[in-house]
Amino acid sequence: MRKNLLLSLGLSAILATSLFAQEDVRKFKVHYHFDIKYSDSKEYPAKLWNPMPFNSNYQQVKELSFSGNYDKFNINRENIYNANTFYAKWGKDKKRKTLDIDMIIETKNISVPIDVIKKASAKNLPIPDDVKLYLKATTHIPTDGIIKALANKITAGKNDRFEKVKAIYDWCTAHTFRDKKVVGCGKGDVGKIVTQKEVEDAYKNGYYGGKCTDLSSLFTALVRAAGIPAREVFGIRLGKSYFSKALGKSDDKGFANITTWQHCRAQYYIPGAGWIPADPADITKLELVEGLKYNDPKVQKLKEKYLHSWEMNWVGFNTARDFILYPKPEQYPLNMFGYPYAEVDGDVLNYYNPKEFSYTISSQEIK
Amino acid sequence: MKYVLFLLLFAGVLFAKVQKVVIDVEGMSCPLCTMTIKKNLKKQNGVIKAKVKLSTNSAFVIYDDKNITKEQLLKAIDEVGYKGKIKKEIK
Repeated sequence: MRKNLLLSLGLSAILATSLFAQEDVRKFKVHYHFDIKYSDSKEYPAKLWNPMPFNSNYQQVKELSFSGNYDKFNINRENIYNANTFYAKWGKDKKRKTLDIDMIIETKNISVPIDVIKKASAKNLPIPDDVKLYLKATTHIPTDGIIKALANKITAGKNDRFEKVKAIYDWCTAHTFRDKKVVGCGKGDVGKIVTQKEVEDAYKNGYYGGKCTDLSSLFTALVRAAGIPAREVFGIRLGKSYFSKALGKSDDKGFANITTWQHCRAQYYIPGAGWIPADPADITKLELVEGLKYNDPKVQKLKEKYLHSWEMNWVGFNTARDFILYPKPEQYPLNMFGYPYAEVDGDVLNYYNPKEFSYTISSQEIK
Repeated sequence: MKYVLFLLLFAGVLFAKVQKVVIDVEGMSCPLCTMTIKKNLKKQNGVIKAKVKLSTNSAFVIYDDKNITKEQLLKAIDEVGYKGKIKKEIK
């Protein structure tokens, strides 16, 4: 079976209808190619769940098309986090299982002015019910025990929500580091991160190494433990960063192989100001890749910027943690949904190994 | 001598028994952990089938007790960073 559909199937959750103002707008043509392999059996069934971007005032999917030899597919957000999911299913046979997804994605840099955040925070408005999900602990985001004690110590003497967030952000960026030994973006297992080495004083000399999911999750857990909604935002870098090559690059024609460019950011919620973008993990990436110290002016500049903004050479997929995909896979719950997830005969394919899986993702910036 | 060896071999085959066991597994944090454990179990001589489930934090193993013991199954789980404990032997 071969399908090639330009969307008309009620996919408004993904497809955007309005254009941004033209300043700071970037446009990327993103292509996914899947060729699902399996070595254990000549005839095999397969199921794939691929994370798809959400629409917001800083990112929009303008076009979406897909084709492949799947037997069934759907695009759904039937999970507790409303994570957009492209699901495809192949029957048990010998044929190669292929799927191609093409998207035109528009992005726009986002920055919430500090004075707007401060003014809203000073009002100390109640937290809306629909945001309270992001105050709760999950399996990998504990908010009690060491995390609660650490959050209390970091925010001691502060009553204002934004002041607390800023104290946590400052502490995280000063005490964490990017550990290149970690596979992929890391598991974001905060309980393990804070206990990976026994230390005398977790506040002063803890060992907080990891990659973007780990560090964004630590920030998220601490902010939640301080009583402020926060969440990780899983996504992928799309191309060149104008701040540093460490944060995204492309060739001179704007093309980039982004197969392994998944990147997790964070957001916190201040009633009256909404969800505020932050990216504590990229501070550590800049330090590692450019060989800079924390006090370097370039690091401090990015740190200041990423407390309340994102450069949008990246697109976000979802804020889902420890949840169940739809249709329900053999293995659940899923720790995070920043990578394609697939099962062959109930066996999980290694999404950290795109060659073995196999998939490729590319991005072409369009001027 | 040849006759004795043949008898020993035959007795081994005769007394080998396919066993089924459910093991509680501690420390799995994502679906990929199930594959790490499954792959290591299947590498062991004597393991016929292994199925690992994240939702129940458990492994179901069919093995030939002539070639591998329950303790060795637990060791295979331990080797890849998880803790196993026999929950049930299925007769």
